[in-house]
Amino acid sequence: MTDVIEVKDMHFAYRDGTEALKGIDLTIKSGEFIALIGQNGAGKTTFAKTLNGLLKPSQGYVKCGGIDTSQKRVIKKLVKEVGYVFQNPDHQLFNNEVRKEIAYAPKNVGLSEEEIEERVTEAAAVAGIKEDYLSMHPFFLPKGLRQRVSIASILALRPKVIIVDEPTTGQDYRQSVEIMEFLKKLNEERGHTIIIITHEMDIVAKFAKRVIVLCQGKILLDGDTKEVFSQPDVLAKAYVKVPEATRIAQALNRFGISRDVLSSDELWDQFQSAISR
Amino acid sequence: MEKIIEINQLTWQYTDTDHPALEDVSLEIEENMFIGVCGPNESGKTTLVSCIKGLIPHNFIGSYKGEVRLFGKNIRDLNAQELAKYVGFVFADPEAQFTSMSVEEELAFGMENIGLGSDEIKERIQWVADITGLESLLDKSPYDLSGGQKQRVAIASVLAMQPRVIILDEPTSMLDPIGKDSIFNICARMKEELHMTIIMVEHTLDRLARLSDRLILVHQGKIARYAEPERFFENVGELLELGLNPPASIVFLDQLKQAGLYDGPMTTSVEETIEIAQSICARKEAIK
Repeated sequence: MTDVIEVKDMHFAYRDGTEALKGIDLTIKSGEFIALIGQNGAGKTTFAKTLNGLLKPSQGYVKCGGIDTSQKRVIKKLVKEVGYVFQNPDHQLFNNEVRKEIAYAPKNVGLSEEEIEERVTEAAAVAGIKEDYLSMHPFFLPKGLRQRVSIASILALRPKVIIVDEPTTGQDYRQSVEIMEFLKKLNEERGHTIIIITHEMDIVAKFAKRVIVLCQGKILLDGDTKEVFSQPDVLAKAYVKVPEATRIAQALNRFGISRDVLSSDELWDQFQSAISR
Repeated sequence: MEKIIEINQLTWQYTDTDHPALEDVSLEIEENMFIGVCGPNESGKTTLVSCIKGLIPHNFIGSYKGEVRLFGKNIRDLNAQELAKYVGFVFADPEAQFTSMSVEEELAFGMENIGLGSDEIKERIQWVADITGLESLLDKSPYDLSGGQKQRVAIASVLAMQPRVIILDEPTSMLDPIGKDSIFNICARMKEELHMTIIMVEHTLDRLARLSDRLILVHQGKIARYAEPERFFENVGELLELGLNPPASIVFLDQLKQAGLYDGPMTTSVEETIEIAQSICARKEAIK
């Protein structure tokens, strides 16, 4: 897998001098599904915004698809590399028609009318937005669909990496699973690298393959999801609790149940084997 | 305990919709209870609590059948001031509730509106700031606070009115785990120390299940279940089918029950579930 993002000794300070990120080093490979976790104020959203050039590092560098985000006049190239979906779709949507909303970014990067139409059709289809909805006002759609419209408007630029900030906030369990299954499909079938920012550890356990834990502007843990959740004491420093099924498994570890269980089904399977051994 | 909320055969349909948002709902809520309300989006949860607050039928247009009684009085006969005295309402998005440029002014706003004197207002501000941990933030702008702090301001401004019932509609949906814990802790204190009745709508069931005296499941405009947590979680399979995500410890306990390994009562406590599982494992080991 090729590197799509390279971050080297990256610091970021806001204008008032607050240093939100303090020396981040990592690489992200094409096709990864990553969860960025940590308490509010840990630097998650700031970090995500440095990945698509919305914020420029004050020290070190971020390269996306080989492009240094600190360079001037690279934003049009960067939007094709990394797309950022806001936590609240209502903060992102502003057109009075779904079709115009999806067409907005391709138009802004100067694509032809023909190409724009093709991108809108493609992005709507991938996001599961029916033809009938394209002429509707986005604000008359339910939140789950508004979220899909905001993702479609990012997809229209065909970015390699899609960052989704709190994809499940305010959604019920079924809607949360539906939106996450959609992101999984984008990852597995269309090869997009997905980065989600979330506080929902059950969602992280179910969908992410890699977890990056931020704490006070630094990376506290970075690794395979099972490996990260098997370290509850380290996670506690970032005020992150492991999923409940993992917690139960860890309490039953002395009976032969592994510490890195991620789901209720896995817990039950391991419990049954442990008592029948 | 006294029944303070009685809903009798309530049906409500918003204008321009083709089916009722609530249909033939009847339930009773006793004083000083913590009531958790859950259910899928669009199932009628917010409509239900809006009926208890009197926002429906006073502020919405639609068809209303049946009745809601608050402290024995029909809600249709209560004016805004009486309703404010009985029930406070906290929204999911605290900013939707803010009107002032400092936390102190925000807390005073509602009290000024019901005509309290300035000494009383000052006293109550100190009182709610202490309960909600806002003492050091009184001169800050509510818009400059963290999500959890903003929600605490929203709760404090409602609490300052000293209503008998506080309704919170998804108050933690935008908060991180620390923010969520702080809101649940404040609600637990309001119930235990101030003897208030708390009605909280939430999607995530883990914290709600552990604090609620009773849980209401709203599904397609009807009350699908209304019971103490131990009974509410008796049929986990049905809850999953209805689109809920019960806490993993409850799913696990249900699996133990289904497999005939445990026949005691359901518990919402993770620690108790762990103890039950450990004793099953220890028993099996001893037999071997």
